[in-house]
Amino acid sequence: MRAALIAIFLALMPAAAAAENLVSGLSQDQIQITSNYTGSDLVVFGAIEQSADTEEDSETGHRDVVVVVRGPTAKMDVRRKQRIAGIWINNREITLTGMPAYYYVASTRPLDKIAPAQTLGRYQIGLDYVKPERASTHNPARAEQFRQAVVRERVRGHLFTEAPAGVEFLSYSLFRVHVPVPASAPRGQYTAEVYLFKDGVVMAAQSTPLFVDQIGLERRLFSFAHNDAFAYGVATVIMAMLLGWLSSLIFRRA
Amino acid sequence: MEIYLPIAEMSVHWLIILGMGGAVGFLSGMFGVGGGFLLTPLLIFYGIPSEVAVATTASHITASSMAGVIAHWKRRTVDFAMAGVLLAGGLMGTSIGVYLFKLLREAGQSEFVVSAGYVILLGTVGGLMLNESQQALRAARSGNPLPARPARHHNWIHGLPLKMRFRQSRLYISVFPPLVLGFIVGILSAIMGVGGGFILVPAMIYLLRMPTSVVMGTSFLQILCVTAATTVLQAASNYTVDIMLAGILILGGVVGAQFGVRAGSRLRGEQLRLLLAILVLAVGARLLIGLVVTPADIFSVAVEGQ
Repeated sequence: MRAALIAIFLALMPAAAAAENLVSGLSQDQIQITSNYTGSDLVVFGAIEQSADTEEDSETGHRDVVVVVRGPTAKMDVRRKQRIAGIWINNREITLTGMPAYYYVASTRPLDKIAPAQTLGRYQIGLDYVKPERASTHNPARAEQFRQAVVRERVRGHLFTEAPAGVEFLSYSLFRVHVPVPASAPRGQYTAEVYLFKDGVVMAAQSTPLFVDQIGLERRLFSFAHNDAFAYGVATVIMAMLLGWLSSLIFRRA
Repeated sequence: MEIYLPIAEMSVHWLIILGMGGAVGFLSGMFGVGGGFLLTPLLIFYGIPSEVAVATTASHITASSMAGVIAHWKRRTVDFAMAGVLLAGGLMGTSIGVYLFKLLREAGQSEFVVSAGYVILLGTVGGLMLNESQQALRAARSGNPLPARPARHHNWIHGLPLKMRFRQSRLYISVFPPLVLGFIVGILSAIMGVGGGFILVPAMIYLLRMPTSVVMGTSFLQILCVTAATTVLQAASNYTVDIMLAGILILGGVVGAQFGVRAGSRLRGEQLRLLLAILVLAVGARLLIGLVVTPADIFSVAVEGQ
């Protein structure tokens, strides 16, 4: 839906896009999780190109760059504990569908200074505006409470990040953002979106896909465990029994 | 060096995991128990999801009991008939337990049931052991040995029907007590990731009145089969067995166990049981604190279908 919004926006505003053009790229379009994976750093870089006749114009307005990286959406069961007879037990559950499992936003200034809430909400820019598509409750206040719980949990796990000064300008027009992708980041298709704001209005936007995937042994073990679960279980047992047998063999001789 | 676990979907330090496996293996070798009741809580404290901890610990116990079975097999101290009956009950228990665990997981209560189950189990077993070992130590110090229990005391268990002869154990009893015992241990193995030796061994001695010489070997065989079945069933229905985690834990465990056996032979039985009782109670207390203390965030998030 957001991709469509960006496409419509670009189609409707060719004049603005021509005046200040945005070019961006990624350091890699694929991140691979291997056995010694501890997370990696994705670099989103770009430049603002402008034609000579608009240069004076750009001096007057305030320019901002916002970079958003979204992971694949997930279905999340959010549970709330309650103290019952002195013990904390999960007693309410709400399912949120369509929330990204990973979210990173970097900007040149704090987001609330860049654009009004309505604009941020429309593009889902910022941790306050990452919304699920559906919630298994009709009570909006409760859905919001549980959504915030997801944001807190993801922030703790470094899966949701807001970096209000994360966009680094190397020159007047050249910028760069370091996006950390931890080992716990989910597999799937991600999108890196770059927005150019001027006085609170989106002037240009660009979206690039990237993929996070397990490769090598991890990938094979994961698909073995899911596609041929019974044989995987048997293989684990055989490994365990072999190691147990080997140990009694080795240590008896020693 | 960090290593990525494909099923738990997290990075762990492999030396810490190896160390945990080694420490639990050492204790299990020293005390002659499987050590699942220590390993599962340890893995949960480290941050492994409780369902992965429970399922993967089962495979760790498979490895450690394999070594035990081999040793007792050679000494001919395994009662195969008894193990067979226990196992029949055990497999029923495991199948039902894995299914129950799936339901609990979907209801979001698996974590609570695992923790609460451990608190009750460790509290009871630890309390009983502490009491028993202190009595034994006091008796040894005063020089009066405890009165031996009557060897052939008849209780209600001997009145049950469907009797069967267990030659190795020199017993002629109903099949129901071992069947039920196996069943309970099977459920525990699936829901809590324990082998159940700490229930099986005393129950075989005091309830079934089996000779102590065949108790260990028979319980090892029963535990080996039940945890192997648990591993396969958890892998097939819950996708929660992490083979990478299992491999490192087992490597640490089998080596640790060998040193544990040597260390254990230098301590006296009552002293060993007292130490084990304190350890068991400490783990139980730590889990109880986790249930009672107000959590940092009362919300928790589980991502489905990842």
